[in-house]
Amino acid sequence: MTKEHDSDVRFLMGNEAIGRGIIEAGCSVAAAYPGTPSSEVLESLVRWKKELVHPIYLEWSVNEKVAFEVAYGASLAGARAVAAMKMVGLNVASDPFMSAAYLGVRGGLVVVVADDPGPHSSQTEQDSRFFGWFAKVPVLDPGTPAEALEMTIRAFELSEKYQVPVMLRPCLRVCHARQNITFGVPLPVADVGPFKRNWTRWAAIPRYRLVLHGELNEKLKAMSKDEPQAKPVLMSGTPTASMALITSGSVSSHVKDVVASDDRLADIAVYKVDMPFPVNVEALQDIVDSHDKTLLIEETYPVLELHIPDRRKVVGRLSGDVPSQGELTPEVVEDIIVAAAGKESISRQAPSVKPRRPSLCPGCPHRPAFYMIRQVFDKAVYAGDIGCYTLGTNMGAVDTCLCMGASIGMAGGLIRAPHETADSRVVATIGDSTFYHAGVPALINAVHTRASFVLVIMDNNLAAMTGGQPTPAMDTLADGSRATPISLERVVHGCGVDFMEVVDPYDYTGMREVLEKANTYTFEENKGVSVVIARRPCVRASQAERTSLRYEVGEECDLCMSCITDLECPAFRFVKDPKAMVIDEDQCSGCGYCVNTCPSKAVRLKGV
Amino acid sequence: MSENNRVYNVLIVGVGGQGIILASDVLGRVAAAYGYDVKKNEIHGMAQRGGSVSSHIRFGKSVSSPIITLGEADVLLSFEQIETIRYFPFLSEKGKVILNDQKILPPAVFTGKQDYPPDVVQKIKEKVPDAVVVDGISVAQKMGNPRVLNVIFLGILSKYLDIPADVYEKVLKESLKPKLVDVNLKAFHEGRSLAAA
Repeated sequence: MTKEHDSDVRFLMGNEAIGRGIIEAGCSVAAAYPGTPSSEVLESLVRWKKELVHPIYLEWSVNEKVAFEVAYGASLAGARAVAAMKMVGLNVASDPFMSAAYLGVRGGLVVVVADDPGPHSSQTEQDSRFFGWFAKVPVLDPGTPAEALEMTIRAFELSEKYQVPVMLRPCLRVCHARQNITFGVPLPVADVGPFKRNWTRWAAIPRYRLVLHGELNEKLKAMSKDEPQAKPVLMSGTPTASMALITSGSVSSHVKDVVASDDRLADIAVYKVDMPFPVNVEALQDIVDSHDKTLLIEETYPVLELHIPDRRKVVGRLSGDVPSQGELTPEVVEDIIVAAAGKESISRQAPSVKPRRPSLCPGCPHRPAFYMIRQVFDKAVYAGDIGCYTLGTNMGAVDTCLCMGASIGMAGGLIRAPHETADSRVVATIGDSTFYHAGVPALINAVHTRASFVLVIMDNNLAAMTGGQPTPAMDTLADGSRATPISLERVVHGCGVDFMEVVDPYDYTGMREVLEKANTYTFEENKGVSVVIARRPCVRASQAERTSLRYEVGEECDLCMSCITDLECPAFRFVKDPKAMVIDEDQCSGCGYCVNTCPSKAVRLKGV
Repeated sequence: MSENNRVYNVLIVGVGGQGIILASDVLGRVAAAYGYDVKKNEIHGMAQRGGSVSSHIRFGKSVSSPIITLGEADVLLSFEQIETIRYFPFLSEKGKVILNDQKILPPAVFTGKQDYPPDVVQKIKEKVPDAVVVDGISVAQKMGNPRVLNVIFLGILSKYLDIPADVYEKVLKESLKPKLVDVNLKAFHEGRSLAAA
């Protein structure tokens, strides 16, 4: 949402459109945890709030579970509320999510869950519609940014009408797509009245849960029968064609263009489902029964396909006609449809150049931290975590990456090898935001169980990978209102840690000394977990002026390549003719750390 | 604006930090302001840290998908040599290529383990004889501001699309900070004259 003055055209990203829909629906509470491709939902709400002077409470929650619970609490208090996250965030929030479906809601409650088929920047290709089905939570699946805005409003209405949470499931190609969008008029803040005590519902014990489960099933039955969005709608083609195609969500936009651009496919009866759960099963079966063949194209799991009771005339993921992994891009969709229609395929050249490997930025404080970890703890197992610092793999300083917070939990297991030798050591690394998110319980566990590993918390004072969102250590909330900062040191102490040191990773000697002390404490004296906080603000987000110091490589350089292989700094360039190492001044941040690490002491300050 | 349902597919590629997202955003707004239905999509995230960036812009009377099918791009605007090769399969048979003559070396090339492909420009010219190749950095430096690189190329690109220059000017004025407007308008017109030359 860049500046728009006198222009009528609003060219919006899908996530900004969802933010707009949230405001237009009169929602007054929004909580989120950042994660690509969902982060811009709350970021845009900060701007919409200001622009439309709409009273909405906004927070970056400590994690997705808490975000969901904040939104759920607000719903019980009568507000329309939303929680936004990426699909792996829903895994974290799954406990309250599943339970809330049974209990139901008061004010409309919408959970925005962004999926990442590909995956482009995620750990899994999981289909959150499937999660909705599992939890018995209705799901709306937008195909475009404009549809996402309109469906956001519908999601609140459905949620209030049936008193269930409703999921909005945009995929990456909706979240980060942009298009011109027409706006509606925001509703006043919705309020269904204050919380009313009803413990057989809001605090139900198992006996009442059974009753609530029955009620939920009745709600879903009514929705699939009465709601028009539960039925497939004919998008193009002729209803009497021999072949039908059923699709949903972001991939439906590719389907639409593919059939429109190929005359051989124009006849196919293409149906789209807005609400893939709870879908109208009879309507799906009717389509299948009235065509010779029905093709299912959906991202990323066969949710609609599995709902069809008689699949003898159905092709899709279950029959192997649609690939079981990878994003359904337009050319993949084209191949599938052309093959299913029995037409000759169009040959297209596939890209063959290897992708660029991303690197930590020049001057990133994680680089010297990883460098020194490698120096002090060679041959250790390095338990890593989720964030920019996963790129420590490039430096050989990250061996594992499972999910948010797993570095600490896994370190507690990695030290339990059946044949532990005297020199087997484990070093875990985690970012500050990830530590607050899911690292704290794991650290309590490690201290309590006397697990012996070194934990380095890479504290750059924000969530860098997702665009610099604040952590609980900051004194402001998402929209700039006042927050109480939570000290990282106090949390670490509170977890029962006795050894904790704070150090600037740029400080070559200081960082080495602290890590050596941690090594002695944990591995030689066997005193348990030691925690090192490597603290320096993110170089990209830091407001500090870029230093004017510039460095050069002198003739002492013996081309050992340590600056590239060990330090992995993108500012270094190897020139072939004649062979030389040079520093690219546009890339160099001037941090000067390489002066310390160059084995032949060839790097020096320029002009000295 | 053409009356038939011709869809324009423009693919802008390069490396994180080259201003691709802004250039493609301006183009999307321009097409929308001109009355086209516009869809745009980009891949970023990891790209901030030196990876490839690609931005797909599609516009016409009616456009549904935000991504271009392989072999269907009308214009490939590339800010980096090897990225041109990477995204070449997206170009249609009669497609245009606009290339910023710059190399940004991937890490495997730094170490000498992998060679940066030589003669990229020549190879592209063999395939697309009318490819427009401009040393954008020199042009930007001559204009006294390396950050206008993206807008220079937006100017070149505008010559191959059917939207009048004043729509671009209007959108640039609306989307930039006031103090950056003049230098960027100058860069835009410099690009247009380079395309004409």
